[in-house]
Amino acid sequence: MELLVVNILNFVFATATLALVVLGLAIIFGMLGVMNMAHGEFVMLGAYGALVVQNAGLHFLFAIPFVLLLCIIVGWFIEWSIIRHLYRRPFDTLLATWGLAILLRKGIEAIFGRDYKSIDQTLPGTVQLMGVDYPAYRLVLIGLIALFFLSIFLWYRKSNTGARIKAMVTNPALASAVGIDTRHLARLTFIFGVCTAGLAGVALAPMVRIDPFMGLDYLLSSFFVLVVGGLGSLEGLLTGASVIAGTDVTVSALISKTGGYIAVLTLSILFLWLRPNGLFSSR
Amino acid sequence: MAYFRAASIPFAVVIGLLFVPFIWDTFVAYQLGLYLLYGMVAQGIALCWGRTGFLPLGQALFFGIGAYVSGAALTQFGDNWLLLIPAFLVAVALPALLACGVGLLVFNRQVGSGPFFSLITLALSILGFQLANSWSTVTGGFNGMTGIPGLPGIDSYEHLYYVILAALLFGSLLLLYLQRAPFGQLLSAIAGNEDRLQFFGFHTGLLKAMAFGVSAGLAGLAGAIYAPHQGIVTPQAVGFLLSAEFVIWTAVGGRNSLMGPVMGAVLIGFLASGLRDTFQYWEVVVALVFIVVVLRFPGGLAQLAERIVPSRHRRTAIQARQRTHTIAGTKTQPETNLKFDHVGLKIGPVTILDNLALDITSKGIHCIIGPNGAGKTSTFNVLSGKLPITSGQISWAGQRLSGMRVDQVAQLGISRKLQVPSVFAALSIDQNIDIALWAGRLRRRDYFSMQPFAWQTELLGDLETRFDFLHNGHAPAGVLSLGQRQMLDFSMTYLGEASLILLDEPCAGLSSAETVEMIEAIAQINQLTGACAIIIEHDMQVVERLSDHVLVMHQGTLLASGTMANIRNNAAVQAVYGGGTK
Amino acid sequence: MGTDLLEVWELRGGYGDITVIEGFSASLRVGEVVFITGRNGTGKSTLVKLIAGQLTPSGGQLRFNGQDLLLVPQHKRLSLGIGYAPQEAVVFDGLSVEENLTLHYDNRELSRYDALFDAFPRLPERLKQNAGTLSGGEKKILSFCRAMAEDTKLVILDEPTEGVQPENIAHMAHAIDHARSLGRSLIVVEQNLSLVEQTADRAFLLDNGRCIYTADANQNLRSDIAQRLKL
Repeated sequence: MELLVVNILNFVFATATLALVVLGLAIIFGMLGVMNMAHGEFVMLGAYGALVVQNAGLHFLFAIPFVLLLCIIVGWFIEWSIIRHLYRRPFDTLLATWGLAILLRKGIEAIFGRDYKSIDQTLPGTVQLMGVDYPAYRLVLIGLIALFFLSIFLWYRKSNTGARIKAMVTNPALASAVGIDTRHLARLTFIFGVCTAGLAGVALAPMVRIDPFMGLDYLLSSFFVLVVGGLGSLEGLLTGASVIAGTDVTVSALISKTGGYIAVLTLSILFLWLRPNGLFSSR
Repeated sequence: MAYFRAASIPFAVVIGLLFVPFIWDTFVAYQLGLYLLYGMVAQGIALCWGRTGFLPLGQALFFGIGAYVSGAALTQFGDNWLLLIPAFLVAVALPALLACGVGLLVFNRQVGSGPFFSLITLALSILGFQLANSWSTVTGGFNGMTGIPGLPGIDSYEHLYYVILAALLFGSLLLLYLQRAPFGQLLSAIAGNEDRLQFFGFHTGLLKAMAFGVSAGLAGLAGAIYAPHQGIVTPQAVGFLLSAEFVIWTAVGGRNSLMGPVMGAVLIGFLASGLRDTFQYWEVVVALVFIVVVLRFPGGLAQLAERIVPSRHRRTAIQARQRTHTIAGTKTQPETNLKFDHVGLKIGPVTILDNLALDITSKGIHCIIGPNGAGKTSTFNVLSGKLPITSGQISWAGQRLSGMRVDQVAQLGISRKLQVPSVFAALSIDQNIDIALWAGRLRRRDYFSMQPFAWQTELLGDLETRFDFLHNGHAPAGVLSLGQRQMLDFSMTYLGEASLILLDEPCAGLSSAETVEMIEAIAQINQLTGACAIIIEHDMQVVERLSDHVLVMHQGTLLASGTMANIRNNAAVQAVYGGGTK
Repeated sequence: MGTDLLEVWELRGGYGDITVIEGFSASLRVGEVVFITGRNGTGKSTLVKLIAGQLTPSGGQLRFNGQDLLLVPQHKRLSLGIGYAPQEAVVFDGLSVEENLTLHYDNRELSRYDALFDAFPRLPERLKQNAGTLSGGEKKILSFCRAMAEDTKLVILDEPTEGVQPENIAHMAHAIDHARSLGRSLIVVEQNLSLVEQTADRAFLLDNGRCIYTADANQNLRSDIAQRLKL
């Protein structure tokens, strides 16, 4: 019984954090059509941001405004210098962001070195829940992520922003003609995506090993989620995250970490083959 | 002949490279050998990326597999060539087959070359890295497979360099040949307009998988030589870092060029070995250069070089093609029998086709008319396999079409022209015509033969006299006017001499003079080929001049069919149509 | 009638280095419907793209209500009072019909479309459908309705009847007449002479990027134009 509860909590936790990580990629890819290969590196940036805050002797919570500011600046600069030239050239954005990913990795490596870093847990201790002790930080994180998603969902349903972003991407000329400031909107969308990735990095920082190559895993698992869940809906994102996280957690526990990776990868290839638009597709 | 002229470039490069050990020393040659091996892998990437338009991001996987297989064979079999040669073949074939398989799975339903494929290859390379790390009994784990002996009788420092040159020459000539053959031209067409190519009956997923397989085989070959060259193979050889560098070298060298990627690998290789230790931010600089190349110089160094030294073979391309080999025009025609049996199509909650039932059993021209949104184009979409039907059955000449891919339907002799003229803009008019002529005619071995370029048919001759601009064969199709593109597309639709022709508003966007020309062409060409043609048309005048059999669609069903006079007097038609002529 | 809403003076422009429009001058009065017609490739679409802001003119002047339009980016022209329905790529393919009609308003009310929905009943039937799956003619109707419902002083329509059934063209003509009666002005690129005949106050005939003939509203406008089109 206790084992079951722990496993369920682990599954919920893995799904929630994965969903948070995916969100930025889903926004940038699903809405702007930009396959952001540097997505994982933005998560990494968030984690290193938390590290900088810790090294400065400040409380962990200061990492949130710090990383947000960092992401806004970096996101703005990247959109301005690279991305805005490449909307509607999906292939080139993939390449340019791939180059960007390498750049960020190498840059971080040059500054912080190649070795692992870690962040102290700010909310140590456990909470008694349904007969098991579960780390408090994880529970708080699950709650915060759920709240975050709920507010995004409500806002998105009420506002026209989603439709405007999609309109801007599918037909920028017409979007301008109906009065949408496409440049401005695209930039904000990109920066928003980068910020969620950075925040995900902060949230995960106390629980993972921080190194210059950590981003790649996040990029790929996010991508797997999009393959399974499809683009364009929050339900799809959450379902995809739970399928990928569930498969990974289960197979990793039963066989090995590599086994979990193989299972997830195989699942994704099968999805591309059999259901190329994912479980939930806007088409 | 053009092939040999083009082949002079890799020959010249390799002959020049022969002198390297004498001009510098064997150590430089040894280092250069490694970069040339990397360059071979980059050449394969250029085939996929520059030529076909999809980007493999995990090419090191195949390089590493080749290296591990070769390393294991050399360690186990020592100097027994009888065992080594099959092992080397495996080192090439295994990656090639693996890539083909993955390509088929991923490309099967994905039209276009979105990022999915790239990410899957990246994920595979990371998987390869993890397996190489953990499967230590075979791979030696983290420390790698060490102490690999050199090729028997060939000193790794002195003579292996020449083996590498031979492999480079072989790979380059092979790639050059493949690119010049129909296979390569079809790959270019995929990069241009994959959808359209499928309507000509080409299984684009297979073609892409084959291109990917060739690139992986080449990577395997380079890896197989890498193992004796380095004497050690570590998991890094399959990892994503090397994969990323392959892509960078390809981009910087020039993805559209044959020898450019080799140039990129060699240049960056030497710069890196000189600068890596002294200049900490070297790799940051490389990444920056890569981004700039992607943004500003998509053709890489090769393009820059070409700007300085204009290429010679551009001149030869200007001559219009001589087509000397006349092939049989009409093939055996199947019986004309198209049957829609209560076909339904729903997209989301919307019913597009509602129990559509129609039969067409005679040759000649049939016109579909109907108000906007009646489901006319959707009828073509389900017929040609573009959209899956949700209920009912479609058959042509007794063959059920449901569940077939677009290219499989086209292979049955069904040719379709889209409403928007879709020609391969980057290819020449001649090359566009080639592809249309090959539709349904290209047998497996023809993909790699140069003869199909000389194919000529009676129909083509007729079309060339009718549309004068077709003589201008060297011009890229992209410079044609809308009307000319419409006519080229029309010609291409008929050139495969399919037995069922689907034309979606062939006169859209044409001026009145051009419309008259087009109507005449449709009537006469269709008469000549004896095909059954179905035409979607809005303009009643066009319909009246072309056809005596009119089908009226409304809200996804067939409202009436018969002669124009019948249709005009049909009360149901009058009720919904309210139309006359424009 | 009387005051000029739009003044075009020696407008020049095209794509990149290629100049398509070689100096076009005209003025448009309040409540006037002006057609631009001519054969394919004579620069009709280019001209209205220059006016709508989709292309940047290389020379000349453009004044709307006395304001210099060349200083106003395209996305601000709608709020200034210029609506535009382009010839190609006329709808947002990935969005539903309803989203296409409402995305640029702050409230998603459809009531502003009531009259147009009565004229084109297929449209409200398909509100939830992906606009990309509409047929070419339906997309044109959607685009027409979107532009007509925007409360702008000027509406620019580029080939609104392309692929549209005759009965719906008649509805379009009614909608255009109604807009005129409200004092709105229209610039319509059109090859369908029946629409020109039904609704035009004036028509410009374009050839090779220049206006070669101006027809004023009179009984012979159609034959006038038709005759010259065959030149």
